[in-house]
Amino acid sequence: MTVTSTAVPGDNLQETLVSTASTEGVEGICLLAAPDEALLTDGFESTLQSLSVPVFGGIFPEIIHHGTNTDSGALVVGLSVAPHLTTVEGLSDPETAFRDTLDPTLPAAGYQTAFVFIDAYSEQIEQFIEALFRTYSVELNVIGGGAGTLSDERHPCLFTNDGLISDAAVIAAVPAPTTIGVNHGYTKIAGPFRVTDAEGSTLHSLDASPAFELYQDVIERHAGRTVTPENFFGVAKSYPFGISRLDGEQLVRDPFAVDDGSMSCFGTVPEGEFLSVLTGDADSLVAAAHTAADHATSGRVDPELLLFFDCISRVLYLEDDFDRELAAVTDHEKPVVGALTIGEIANDGAGHLDYFNKTAVVGAIQDV
Amino acid sequence: MTDRQQRIQTLYEISLSIGSKGTLAETADDALLGYLQKLNCSVGAIFHHRSAAEGADYETIATIPAVPESNNTLQAAFGALPDADRPLSEQLPISGRTEEGAHFCLLELPNFGVLAIGKHGGRVDEITRSALRPLNEKLAEACRSKLIETQHRIERNRFEAVFDAIPEPVVNTVIDDDGIERVKHVNTPFEETFGYSAAATHGRPIGALVTPVVTGGSGFEVAADEGDESETFATADSAADFLVRRVAVGGPEADEYIHLYVDISVHKQHQRELERYERLVENIPVGVYRTTPGPDGEFRLVNQGLVDILEADSASEFETLSVSELYADPTTREQFSDLLAEQGSVDGIELEFQTLKGNPIWVAVTGRAVEEDGETVFELALQDITERKERQQQLAVLNRVLRHNLRNAMNVIRGNTQLLSEAVGTQHHPQIDAIEQRVANLEQLSNKAGTMRSLFDQGREVTATVEMSDLLDELKADFQSSYPSACFRVEAFDPVSVQADVRLKMALLELIDNAVVHNTEPEPAVSVAVSPAESKPPDCWVDITITDNGPGIPPEEWQTIETGEETPLHHGTGLGLWLVYWTVSLLGGEIAMSTVESGSQIVITLPRATTEQPAN
Repeated sequence: MTVTSTAVPGDNLQETLVSTASTEGVEGICLLAAPDEALLTDGFESTLQSLSVPVFGGIFPEIIHHGTNTDSGALVVGLSVAPHLTTVEGLSDPETAFRDTLDPTLPAAGYQTAFVFIDAYSEQIEQFIEALFRTYSVELNVIGGGAGTLSDERHPCLFTNDGLISDAAVIAAVPAPTTIGVNHGYTKIAGPFRVTDAEGSTLHSLDASPAFELYQDVIERHAGRTVTPENFFGVAKSYPFGISRLDGEQLVRDPFAVDDGSMSCFGTVPEGEFLSVLTGDADSLVAAAHTAADHATSGRVDPELLLFFDCISRVLYLEDDFDRELAAVTDHEKPVVGALTIGEIANDGAGHLDYFNKTAVVGAIQDV
Repeated sequence: MTDRQQRIQTLYEISLSIGSKGTLAETADDALLGYLQKLNCSVGAIFHHRSAAEGADYETIATIPAVPESNNTLQAAFGALPDADRPLSEQLPISGRTEEGAHFCLLELPNFGVLAIGKHGGRVDEITRSALRPLNEKLAEACRSKLIETQHRIERNRFEAVFDAIPEPVVNTVIDDDGIERVKHVNTPFEETFGYSAAATHGRPIGALVTPVVTGGSGFEVAADEGDESETFATADSAADFLVRRVAVGGPEADEYIHLYVDISVHKQHQRELERYERLVENIPVGVYRTTPGPDGEFRLVNQGLVDILEADSASEFETLSVSELYADPTTREQFSDLLAEQGSVDGIELEFQTLKGNPIWVAVTGRAVEEDGETVFELALQDITERKERQQQLAVLNRVLRHNLRNAMNVIRGNTQLLSEAVGTQHHPQIDAIEQRVANLEQLSNKAGTMRSLFDQGREVTATVEMSDLLDELKADFQSSYPSACFRVEAFDPVSVQADVRLKMALLELIDNAVVHNTEPEPAVSVAVSPAESKPPDCWVDITITDNGPGIPPEEWQTIETGEETPLHHGTGLGLWLVYWTVSLLGGEIAMSTVESGSQIVITLPRATTEQPAN
C-alpha cells in the first residue's frame, strides 16, 4: 500500500494518479479528495478514464491525513490488492432494484472488506444499505460514508474509472481483512417517543404531538434553553435523535432543519418506530472515537493502516476539540487516512449494517 | 429505559415489519430484515416446514445473507434444524454456538416453519426469545396466508393459461344478488367469435352478449343445473350453431360458472346433408342395400326401396334372411358374389329374384365391393326391371311375328298372286299390281323392323368414328345406283369425323330414300352439307344437313316424332322417321327439321370425333 497526498488538486494530482497506477504492486487506487473545482474538469475526468487500474473514492467536505483534517487536497491510496468494483446508479430512483446490481458471491470468492461510498444527497440511501445487508450480511465488513460537499450546489462526487458520477454508490470489495469500530458518544436524555407521523426523512409528529414542539419541550427541560427555528441548527447539533436497537448503540438521526413544526433529518425516520432525544459533549464524543479505534485495533487484524470516516457534523460540534478526536484515533501508532463524511456506513462485523449520522467509524485494515 | 421497556419497544418495531407483501418470499424477507435490524443480529433465515404428506423437509424462503453457504453461523443453524418428521413444537426452540463464537437460535413459526437468527459477538437472550413468540405467530400467519395466496395464484394462473389456450369460446360468469349471470372473464376466441372486446364484456349479463337467433329471447335464463344444450347464437359474422357446456365452478351450489361454446355449425350442416341423403336413399324407388360376400350373404343395411321392391313388411325381415334366398336360382348368388369380388364392381347385372311373398321379379343390380373395418362389403343398388323384361319378351315375339310369320305369309300371298295374275287375264292386272305393291311394302316394313332391332341391340355405346367424306362417297355411289335419274350433291367441306358407327349410314340412307321416294318433282334433287354445329359448341359438334326439293315431311309425321308418342289417332305412316330419330338419339346426337325455299331440310347434329377414337 502506498499513500500519497497532494495539497492542491490539478495537474499535480493527475500526475500522482498516473504515477501511482503505474507503480509496481499497485492493483487499485482509493482516491479521497476535498472539494476543488479542478476535480470537475474534463481533463481530470480523462485522467480517471485513462488509469490502468481500478479507481474508486469520492469528494468529501474534508479529508484526514497526517493526523489532521483539511478541506483541501487529496489522498491517493495505492492498493496492493485488486478491488472488485461495483457501481450502482439511480440511487434516488425508488424503482432501482439494488439487490439485482450486487454480486452475492463476493464473500465466497474471498472478498472480506468493502469500501462503500455514496452520493450523500441521494434519496434511497437506506434502501441501498438494506440491500447491501440483505445480500452480504456480515460476510463483508463494510466501511465508508456519504460523499459530497456542504455547499448548496450539487456536483458529481464519486470517482470511478468512467469518471466522476453522481446519484450513485461505488462499492470496492477487497480480499483484505478488517476490524471495524463504530461509536458516536451520544446518550439518551428523553424518550422514547413514537413516530406518529413521518414521511421519509421528515418528522411531523412524535407521540401525536408536533415534532418540533415536543423537541422544544425536551431541550428546554434539559438545558433550560429555548429552541426557535432561528437558533435550531446551532442547538440541534447537540441534541440529535436516536433510534434504539436491542443490545446495541442507538442509531443517530441528525435533525438539520425545521419547517412549520416538522423536522428534517439525515436518514429516514420510519413511522411507528421510537425515537429518543440524545445529547453528548466533547468528552463523550472523543471517548466514543477512542472506543471505536480501540475496538478496531483490538481485533485479530494486524493493521497496516487505520481508516477513519467521521461525521462532518462532529467537527462542527467539537470545533477546536476535534483535534482531540483525531488524536484519539491517531494515537494508535498506525497511519490514519480518511474523510469527514455526510453520513457513515459501517458494520462492526457482529451486528447489523446501518447508515449512521454523527458517528465515528474506524477500520483497521491489513494486507492492502 | 428499563430492559423490559426497550424489549417491548423493540418487539413493537419488529411487528411493523411483519405483514403481507407481494410474495411469500418478500413477506418473509422483509420480516427477517426487521428481526435482524431490531435485534441487532447479523444473519437469519425463514424455512417452510413441509409435512410428512408433502415430503417432510424444509424449503428455504428467505436468508440473509443472500448466499448462506459461506456463512458458518447460518450453516450451523441449518444443521440444527429439527427433525421434519416430528412436530416442531416438541423440538423448538433450539439455540447453538459456532466455533467462531457466534450464536444462533431456531424459533418455531407455528404451522408454517422455522425462524433462524444469529449474531456475532452476542446472543439473543432467553427472555427476548420468549417475548418473540407472539411476533413469530404473527409472522407465521402472514407467511401461511401468503403461501395459500401463492398456491391460489398458481392455480389461478394455471386456470387462466388453460382458459386462454382453449380454442373454443369460453366465458367465466358469476351470478349476482339479483340472480343475473354476469361475465367475469372471456377468452380471446370468445372475443373473436362474438365480436366483443374483453373489456366490453366485463360485468354484462351473459344473455346480452350471447343471444339465441331462433328464440330471440331477451336474456339467457340461468339454467337450474349444469349441462349441455345446442342452440343457434348470433356471432360477429352472422350466426352459428353451438353446443353449450355450462359447468359450475366449485360444485352445484356455486354461483360461478364456466360456459364453453363449441361451434358445431359444420357438424350440423353435415348432419343435415346426411339426413337429406338418407331421406333420398330411403325414398327412391330403387333398392339400396349392403351385404356381405359369399354364396349366401347377409344383409347389413336395406332401404325402404328394397323393402318395397321385394314385398317385405319391414326392413327387419332382412335381418334373418340370407341374400341367396332372394335368388330364383340360389346358385346364381355365388356366381354374382364371385364376379363382384373379382371385378370390384358390376353394372346392371340382370338377375331373376323372387320376392319375400314368392313372386318372381327381374332386377338389375349395380354395385361395388368395398373394404370396411378389415372386411369386404358389397354396396348395391337394385332396380326392378320386371316390366322392361316383359316388354322385351313382347317385342321379341312381335319381331318374330313381323319378320318370320308375316314374311312367310307374304311369300304365300305373292305366289298366289302370281298364279292369280296368270289366271284372271289383263283386265285385272291393276288390282294384281296393287296387291303385289302392298306385299312389297309389308316386306320392307318387316325388314325395317329387323333393322330397328339390331339398332337397339347395339345400345348407346359408341366407340367408333366415321370420316364424313368417306361415308358420303359411299352414299353417293349407292344413290346413283338406286336413283340414276335423281341428283345427289355433296357440298364441299373440311375433313371431319364424327362419333358414330354404321348406324349413321343407315339413318342417312333412310333420309335420302325418303327425299327421293316422296319427291314429286320431275328431277328429285338431294344435297348434303357438313359444317361445324350452329346450335352447339362448333369445336365439339358437327351439323349434317340434308336438303331436298321435295314437299317435305308432313307436319303430323314430324309432330309424332317430336312428341315421342303414337296414339291410334295420331301416328306416322311407317318406321323410317322413327329409325332415323332413334339412330341419332342412340348416337348421342340431335335432329331438327325445317322447310326451306327449295324444299325441306333436316339437320343432324353429332359429336365431333376425338383423336383417341378408332375409325369405323
